[in-house]
Amino acid sequence: MQRLINRVLPSLLALIGALVVSGLAIALSGSSPLLAFEALLDGAFGSLDGLSEVAVKSCPLLLTGLAVAVSFQAGIWNIGAEGQLLMGALAIAVIGSRATWLPQPIGLPLALGASATFGALWAGIAAQLKLRRQVNEVISTIMLNFIALGLLSYLVQGPLMEAGGRYPQSDALSPEFLMPRLSPYRIHLGLLLALFLAAAMQVFLYRSVAGYEIRATGLSPEAARLAGIDVRRRLLLALLLSGALAGLAGGIEVSAITRRLYERLSPGWGFTAIAVGLLGRLSPVGVVAAAFLFGAMDAGSNAMQRVAGVSSVLVSIIQATVIFFLVAFERRTWFSKISAEPD
Amino acid sequence: MNPAPTSASLLSIRRLSKRFGALRALDAIDAEFSGGEIHAILGENGAGKSTLMHVLAGLLRPDSGECRIDDQAIRLGSARAARSAGIGMVHQHFALVDALTVAENLALSLTPDADWRFDAVAVGEKACAFAAQVGLEIAPPSAIVRDLPVGARQRLEILKALAGAGRVLILDEPTAVLTPPEVRLLFAMLQQVRAQGRLVLFITHKLREVKEVADRVSIMRHGRVVGTYRAAEVSESQLAELMVGKLEVSPHIRRPPHAGATVAMQARELSMRDHRGVVALDNVSVTVRRGEILGIAGVDGNGQRELFAVLAGLATPESGQIEVGGKSLSALAPRVLRQVGVGYIPPDRHREGLVLAMSVAENLLLHRNVLRRFQRHGLLQRPAARRWAAALMQQFRIKAASLDAPLRSLSGGNQQRVIVARELSQPLAVLVTSNPTRGLDLAATRAVADALRAAAADGCAIVLISTDLDEVFDLSDSIRVLYRGRLSDAVKPPVDAERLGLLMAGIQAGKEPCNA
Ligand SMILES: Nc1ncnc2c1ncn2[C@@H]1O[C@H](COP(=O)(O)OP(=O)(O)OP(=O)(O)O)[C@@H](O)[C@H]1O
Ligand SMILES: [Mg+2]
Repeated sequence: MQRLINRVLPSLLALIGALVVSGLAIALSGSSPLLAFEALLDGAFGSLDGLSEVAVKSCPLLLTGLAVAVSFQAGIWNIGAEGQLLMGALAIAVIGSRATWLPQPIGLPLALGASATFGALWAGIAAQLKLRRQVNEVISTIMLNFIALGLLSYLVQGPLMEAGGRYPQSDALSPEFLMPRLSPYRIHLGLLLALFLAAAMQVFLYRSVAGYEIRATGLSPEAARLAGIDVRRRLLLALLLSGALAGLAGGIEVSAITRRLYERLSPGWGFTAIAVGLLGRLSPVGVVAAAFLFGAMDAGSNAMQRVAGVSSVLVSIIQATVIFFLVAFERRTWFSKISAEPD
Repeated sequence: MNPAPTSASLLSIRRLSKRFGALRALDAIDAEFSGGEIHAILGENGAGKSTLMHVLAGLLRPDSGECRIDDQAIRLGSARAARSAGIGMVHQHFALVDALTVAENLALSLTPDADWRFDAVAVGEKACAFAAQVGLEIAPPSAIVRDLPVGARQRLEILKALAGAGRVLILDEPTAVLTPPEVRLLFAMLQQVRAQGRLVLFITHKLREVKEVADRVSIMRHGRVVGTYRAAEVSESQLAELMVGKLEVSPHIRRPPHAGATVAMQARELSMRDHRGVVALDNVSVTVRRGEILGIAGVDGNGQRELFAVLAGLATPESGQIEVGGKSLSALAPRVLRQVGVGYIPPDRHREGLVLAMSVAENLLLHRNVLRRFQRHGLLQRPAARRWAAALMQQFRIKAASLDAPLRSLSGGNQQRVIVARELSQPLAVLVTSNPTRGLDLAATRAVADALRAAAADGCAIVLISTDLDEVFDLSDSIRVLYRGRLSDAVKPPVDAERLGLLMAGIQAGKEPCNA
């Protein structure tokens, strides 16, 4: 119990701190913070439609948050979830508008598998650069984000542009590749898949030998190496898994929500994922909670804008402030490794 | 000059208590220390020595009690207050900033708080001058701390504390990795510090050092000071008894292996440079036979770290090869070496031996072969693994709140026990150890020595790289000396210390000193 409190407390404090700060910001801009938060909550949880939207917004954050968690636990700062997500989206869009001869029960899983693979491959580039050429993964994954975005932008304006040729977007997926929804809402089966993967990651990281090895590698690479752990293989595995999860996030998003490819597909999920991962203290269970929290904020933000007249952008401010507070409350953060250890 | 206060006490402690959960690490401690004395603190692993010192240095806030210097209460729980009251400390585990240079590390304690400027060059010069003044050899100011051998880091720590200390200098096991000449140098420095009327608090597990340098000695047990004595008036065996009760002397008679025993590990013509391009190992060949304990003595920084790293497969030599059990290895990596039954007790337990953020149980599992053993369908067999870890914890008397306590919360000696327990739990063909008893108390040191002997008796070949001459003498079947990357010929004990000392200084019998 004590340990649970110790683990959850910093995240909770950070959240409260962020709410206080943004409340002040709202008050300063002349609106009522209470009204705004109430509208936010009501927008998210006040109706079935709101709830469905919370789920929809949480899904990509959950998967990319898991991606961040697994790589950070291995001590790899994968900042490239965004790019990996876009590559996953690209994969399903290409297959989904062409391979129409496949029946849905085969086609959809296959296409999602392709998304995960593309994401993993994209992360694999950074992994190879790191393992073979000692290129820092922070730099390579950031660069790969730009490349992925550029590639996507080129493709939707050129080779993949829709047949009619009016907008810079791809053809719609054929129906075999669409993720089943619970109509009339947008909530979809992908969320179940994401939750299942979160549970699987929890088991993997804390119950499997490979997961243990990944964590040991992240916390103390030298000790892991001397223990006879194949550190390079573990780093590779963690980064590939991370890429696959992010790629899958893109695949699900296209197949369930956007149903085609366009440039502004992601509002920056791959970056918000870092906040989700850290807020969830890099544990899959924590990431689920953090993803739903952020998803609820996203879902409620429009209602807040409508009702309280507070710009929906405020939600991004809250999310960013959470990170600031987390870093401030964390005594041993991932950002400052203290070398003096009391014994 | 103020007249010295009539009550001779410089530092006094009143009813100091500190608990960690249910554990009373400090249990209403009272103590008086006077200026101009060297006061040794003795006690078993986990007795509370480091905790007490951390409180004095302001790094831990006690639950209750007070500390006075010159009858002035000092604010507890503030490192800054402790420092301005004149308390400097050398930690049991290094408190240096690894990524910074020697000069920059010294600057952290040499630059007055009020001074916002930072001039590394000037500080470097000041540091060198200061080092020369106290006669302590330090690494070049521009060297990065991460790259220094353990002994050099220890000297740097001592220098840093000396520079910062006004009235009280605390040393937490400073001699654990120093060689006899270095220890002598340190003691000369401490005597100088004492002559200036300052107080030296000195934690050690080596009774001889207490007799050699301390004026008084306090003994700690379970968070209490159970007695204070004049060092001259108690014998080493009395001290040992006071500390842990009666110690049984185990008659360790072990037949040395016969010369024809099969070779367990052979390293041939290893050469390597360190990252600065300086030759660290120069054509070193090592052979150990089944059941043999080969001691490798020497002053730290003469290639010990590199030799360990190469034998562990952590570093690749420029030339040379290693065979285990007569077979050359597919790749020189810890993974492969572990597979063929080589165990390791590394020189720096925090860096290579343990994962501080993981639990005791998880650290006991930190071994490829152990993980394999408890793996089924890729999953860790938790109940079985925990039962096994609990048994080890008991067998090696690891003192920790529970199996799930973070390793970080264990006392230094108990952390070392975790490594020893883990490595000795596996069937071993070869064990490569570096200062295996560093930081262990009397009883544990003997237990490890006995365990090493037992392993050797079972046919394990042991390479004992150590700066502790007593340990080398006590355990080895033959002794070689590492000096500037070269390994001397083997000498068989009994060897006289004089001869070994000369070898360690690079002087071979009948030869000129080999200058590099
Ligand atoms: N931060 C902490 N959290 C929990 N327990 C702690 C913590 N620090 C120390 N302890 C416990 O307090 C006790 C005293 O520890 P301390 O480090 O003072 O021992 P020590 O006398 O220095 O031993 P050693 O000779 O092994 O260095 C130990 O049982 C240790 O496990
Ligand atoms: Mg200690």
